[in-house]
Amino acid sequence: MAELLSHVLIAYTVFTVASWRVNWLTKSWVAIGMIGSLLPDLSRIGLFVTDATIEATLGVPFGIGAIHTLGGVVLCAAIGSLVVADHRRRAFGLLVAGGLSHLLTDGLKVWADGAASAWLYPLSWYRHPTPGLYVSSDYRVLVVVGSVAFAVALLDHLVIVDRHTSTDDH
Amino acid sequence: MQTGLRVVVGILLLVGVFGLCIHYGATYDTNWPHPTGEQLDTDYEEYVDERILLIGEVHSTDPVDETLTIEITDDADEVAAEIEIHDTTAAVEPGGTVQAYGTLHGDETMTTSEIVVVNHGPTESQYKLAVSVVGILLAIGYFLTQWQLNLQQLTFNQRSNTIEGDYNG
Repeated sequence: MAELLSHVLIAYTVFTVASWRVNWLTKSWVAIGMIGSLLPDLSRIGLFVTDATIEATLGVPFGIGAIHTLGGVVLCAAIGSLVVADHRRRAFGLLVAGGLSHLLTDGLKVWADGAASAWLYPLSWYRHPTPGLYVSSDYRVLVVVGSVAFAVALLDHLVIVDRHTSTDDH
Repeated sequence: MQTGLRVVVGILLLVGVFGLCIHYGATYDTNWPHPTGEQLDTDYEEYVDERILLIGEVHSTDPVDETLTIEITDDADEVAAEIEIHDTTAAVEPGGTVQAYGTLHGDETMTTSEIVVVNHGPTESQYKLAVSVVGILLAIGYFLTQWQLNLQQLTFNQRSNTIEGDYNG
């Protein structure tokens, strides 16, 4: 995976640009989408507790990597949407969309055997061919993503906000 | 939705997450096309002369002989196998991480057709960790500028100064 800052900035960029066309997609909901982009990396709990430890505790096989898949994102998004006061379906959708932006970005990285991770689980264990655009430690990813996010933030602040404030008062 | 009902639904969803992880753990070995650390440890011979993908931390390098040794870990993060990779000029130092795709040999060596350096050394994993922490703080910080915690209802509400334009949900 890319580092999390790039994932968060990609989500910010995608949802902010979408907000230029979708009136209800305010900054509050962009923020929810950004939180969604963190969801797959909840699997990083594995850095602190190994699968083997949980397996020994529960007495059954266990793979925390499931969270870094479509199924994991959907379930975590459903939990996340429960703590939002209202518009929970919208919150769920944006959390899933944020998580998907993370998984899709990861689907572009280099794998030595040419196939991405099986992130469609539990629907499928299919590993699609990857274009191999980057490795996770490549700082140039952050430079490119950060530059685009900065340009979008600037545009949003200088140009688009005026348009929103003039159309949001109905 | 009432708070009590939300808590119940939340617990059911958490059980669902655990169930998903259990199913994933139980089916991973049969669905992932390459051996895990455990499989290499217990059934090494089964993978000899097979083309497999290994991901491991670099233990040592020998630029003269153009070899490097990687450690493959198991679910407990214990070293399950040490594999020596021949004929590689990959620029990587001990503590780095590589993906190696190639043919495994019986003497715990591998001839690779493709090797990807994920981390050139330990500093790159520290870079990823540090930048990721910044990403988490950015996402949570931005979220908290837009939403505030209602402890009584255990929910986040949109801040009143951000709710404009969100009229028809």
